[in-house]
Amino acid sequence: MIYDIYHKTTFEYEGMVTFSHNIARLKPRENRFQKILDFSMEILPSVYEEHSFTDMFGNSNSHLLIRKPHRALSVIGRSRVEIFPHLLDAHNERMKQNSMPYEKALSLLESFDLYDLMAKKYWFESELICKGSRAIEAYVRQSFHSKRDLFEACAEFMQRIFNDFEFVPGFSDVTTPIEEIFDAKKGVCQDFTHFAIASLRTIGLPAKYISGYIETIPKEGEEKLFGVDASHAWFALYIPRVGWVGFDPTNNLIPTSQHIFLGQGRDYDDITPLKGVVMSSGKSELQISVDVRRVSL
Amino acid sequence: MQMFEQYSLHASYDEMFHKDGTVRAHWQDIYAHIERAGVDTLAAKQSEIEWHMEDNGVTYNVYNNPDGNNNRPWTLDPIPFVMTQEEWREVKRGIKQRAKLLNLVLRDLYGEQKLLKENIIPSEVIFGHKGFSPEVFNFGLKENFNLYFYALDMARGPDGKMWVINDRTQAPSGLGYAVENRLTMNMIAKELYPNVEAKKLSLFVEEFKKLLKKLTHGDTSKAALLTPGPHNETYFEHAYLSSFLEINLVQGDDLLAKNGSLWLKSLSGLKPINTLLRRVDDRFCDPLELRSDSRLGVSGLVDTLRQGHLAMINPIGSAIVENAGLNPFMSRICHYFLDEELILPQIATWWCGQKQELAYVLEHLEGLIVKKIDRTEVMKTYIAKHLSAEELAHLRDKLCANPDQYVAQEEISFSKTPCYDNGKIEPRNAVIRAYSVKNDTGYSVMNGGLVRLSVSTDALLVSSQKGGKSKDLWILGTDNKIDTNAIFKTLPYLDLSIKHMPTLKAENLFWLGRYLARSIATTRLIRYIIKKMIHAHRYESTSSKEVQLILHKALTHFTMTYPGFLDTKEDETLKIEPLQEIASLVRDTFRQGSLSFTISMLGSANIAVKSLLAIESWKLFDKMQKEWHTFIYKNSYSSQTLLHELDKELIYLMAYKELVEESMVSDQGLVLYSIGFKIESALLLISKARSLLCLKLEKSSTYDILEAILGSCESFNAYRTQYKSSLALENVVEFLLLNPHFPKSLTYIADELLQAFKTLPKAKKYLSSYEEAIFKAHAKLRLSHLSTLMEIEEESSVYHVLDTFLSELSELFAHASIEFSKTYFSHYDE
Repeated sequence: MIYDIYHKTTFEYEGMVTFSHNIARLKPRENRFQKILDFSMEILPSVYEEHSFTDMFGNSNSHLLIRKPHRALSVIGRSRVEIFPHLLDAHNERMKQNSMPYEKALSLLESFDLYDLMAKKYWFESELICKGSRAIEAYVRQSFHSKRDLFEACAEFMQRIFNDFEFVPGFSDVTTPIEEIFDAKKGVCQDFTHFAIASLRTIGLPAKYISGYIETIPKEGEEKLFGVDASHAWFALYIPRVGWVGFDPTNNLIPTSQHIFLGQGRDYDDITPLKGVVMSSGKSELQISVDVRRVSL
Repeated sequence: MQMFEQYSLHASYDEMFHKDGTVRAHWQDIYAHIERAGVDTLAAKQSEIEWHMEDNGVTYNVYNNPDGNNNRPWTLDPIPFVMTQEEWREVKRGIKQRAKLLNLVLRDLYGEQKLLKENIIPSEVIFGHKGFSPEVFNFGLKENFNLYFYALDMARGPDGKMWVINDRTQAPSGLGYAVENRLTMNMIAKELYPNVEAKKLSLFVEEFKKLLKKLTHGDTSKAALLTPGPHNETYFEHAYLSSFLEINLVQGDDLLAKNGSLWLKSLSGLKPINTLLRRVDDRFCDPLELRSDSRLGVSGLVDTLRQGHLAMINPIGSAIVENAGLNPFMSRICHYFLDEELILPQIATWWCGQKQELAYVLEHLEGLIVKKIDRTEVMKTYIAKHLSAEELAHLRDKLCANPDQYVAQEEISFSKTPCYDNGKIEPRNAVIRAYSVKNDTGYSVMNGGLVRLSVSTDALLVSSQKGGKSKDLWILGTDNKIDTNAIFKTLPYLDLSIKHMPTLKAENLFWLGRYLARSIATTRLIRYIIKKMIHAHRYESTSSKEVQLILHKALTHFTMTYPGFLDTKEDETLKIEPLQEIASLVRDTFRQGSLSFTISMLGSANIAVKSLLAIESWKLFDKMQKEWHTFIYKNSYSSQTLLHELDKELIYLMAYKELVEESMVSDQGLVLYSIGFKIESALLLISKARSLLCLKLEKSSTYDILEAILGSCESFNAYRTQYKSSLALENVVEFLLLNPHFPKSLTYIADELLQAFKTLPKAKKYLSSYEEAIFKAHAKLRLSHLSTLMEIEEESSVYHVLDTFLSELSELFAHASIEFSKTYFSHYDE
């Protein structure tokens, strides 16, 4: 299955900017389940200097220095990605088969294991995700009993978020504390993801933030407009000694054929698509336009 | 035993005395000297120390604080902390071993992570620690990623050995204070402790310089000390360190990253920097990749590390080894890397992330001290026995909720050492901070250190923030090498010349000139106007109402505090009470353009260029600011008190101006200040001239107005001497604007500016853009004819030609200022 992704981020500044350092993370990752057929990045104004590197979480980063005087910076990432849903299905099935009771997972995590080691980066509080309150803990524990199978529990937990929380754009931003999201029971995919990760970490499980795209299908008879998609976020839970499995609480499904994986981190901060520091006074405004199109089955 | 009669010996270990009250051998000389000296001499030495400290500015930290009193004097005890050479040799070995070990840990954690992969340390102690920086992942494989500078805190345990308490690895502080303590002790030691020899500190400073030389490949002009700035509590130390290490002192805004390297913005252009001694904490060093809300760092800094073009002392990420959670594993790490035993003992530490350890801690909590493994938040140490039942329960909850974030340590009673305090000698707890730097084969340790004392005899914890005293650490003995104190003799190192001056400082010098000119001129104008108001009442002058209205409007234009006095009703009566408006223009710090606002801007500029100024000027400014704040926070005012305060302020400002102009030579940057001062003076003079000289008035009013403009420029007598006549508009216009010989005239100022521009680093054969503007202004002034300027149509009440002329001049001066800033302070085209 092949997708074409167009992801444009624009910063508009109040004043003239003559010098700005930026980091773009727009190139999707390659792994067993997806292959990058083509990727290009278009930057306006043109860059003075560009360095690429891979960060600790395995994401591709581009460090961009812009020195042309400008009032707006736009970075467009164009990717052609082939995904292999049957492989991902098989992986998820394997995770499900090898899952274990919650209490066993906890005891395995306590001991040393080389394979688990790398997952433990995602086990602690991070910049944007603190551990949850008692109320949040009580909420997540409704699904996670000690004898309960981890995979099942998490699938149920995802479904409860899907049912209990309302998708309301504009209520929150990336810095909105999860307690607030939990109290209001509303937000967007990012919030649900942050909330789920915080909850899982609170009860002692490693969980990571996945950023990416999801294919949207227009209503029957309607033409899909260009650029109306959004970037998407979901989370992955770690099953000790076994591996990671993704859950999308916004759509109550386990990502397979409609999700394209961009990058991962402890929270949104680790995989912000574009961030920058400018030498200028005044505010800046951010605009994002995303288009995800399936080009072949 | 007189001096020590009251001295209590209840400590588990006393530095000076054996349990039976006899004096330890290595303290006998010091003890005898103190006994011989007596209380009065000791008191005299204490005040001598305080005088030296104040005289060197050690007590002057931050003074641009509205509350005024933010200075915390640094205090030093006249009694040193003494240690034998033999003991020190062993301690030094331990420090070197620990430094080497922590360097290996640091490099491994940001490299191969063998310690984690081979389960030498649990990953929770690393990944759960807020000092772990994923951004520098794999940087540990780079050659120049090392723990170059390492400090530790230690204290003597009941067994008589020195125990490690803390490791300091990010940006260890206190070295400057340790050096200053020693220099101050040197001044009293010859008299107080004749024949007692302590090892010198200067060898260590040499080692530090060697390291800088190595990292900069021989050119130490490529090294800089990155400070958070003058508002930081230890700024004194940053300035001091940069001065004796002879490297640039910079703030984040002084630097920029491009071409994968770091550059210092200096007046002559960008200069490469490849070594950064930093006093900014890890997470604040780069707003792009680290904390985005930091104003202290340089955006792109992490990338210059990534490109391998920068060595940092110490690298970003070093906070990970300031980690109490490592303690229980240090012995294992030591065996793993070095196959050795740890030399320096540590306090028994339990990391609560392990089940058994947590159970032990919870069971024995009452006798333990609990801390977080990292110190990124406000560091909190829980001494369990001091907690209430409720607090204990709360602590238990915290431990159970996040066990891997905490360690517990046994409570140890450390040794006490004698300290002079208000006429008596008392035992105090002491913690020693020792310093080491990396050399080619290992680490060099300073033969001395900074000793901090607890606030009172009973206090357990030592904190310089709570106002405890400090001591100098003396390692008895002489150095092998003959050593002069030469390194310290070069007193405050100043930026050598304007060419190499960091841009930020240069810009602040320019603004210092502008704000100072504005403060002085504003004070004078307001003072004159208030006087005029008082006199008007007294003489019931008829012309006074019109004159006052003109003066008030001139003040609004002058301070650009619109609508101010221009806010009139249709019948020309003011909406506001004049004295109230004037008081606001004097006192309201939050009103842009007010005198108080200008003075606070002057204060910021003053702080930013502090290192260039003489100590007297800091003291004077400090005093001025304190008095000014007392005045503006008072609720009531009258025209008399306003006048009184303005008089006082003016004297302070003039004295400050004199000190600034005297303490710097032109080539050190005074020229930037002068340019700022002159441009501002020109703009303000033009503003006054437009308000006061362009109006056609009745004769009596004209006289008052001319007197006002001359009076507010302190030029009345000069005018009298020149013209020997009564006041005439034409004469005043000529005198203040066109006279090429009168130093306050516009023509004279323009001429001086043109001269000053020629001495700047970017001066060229042809006119620069800013030069061009002033050149035009100067030509305009020189080519103008008084009679043309004073032409007026019969019906008109305004001298239009003059007004247009002045308005054009104003634009030229303002344009020059903008172009000047662009040329020297922006760097965007380099």
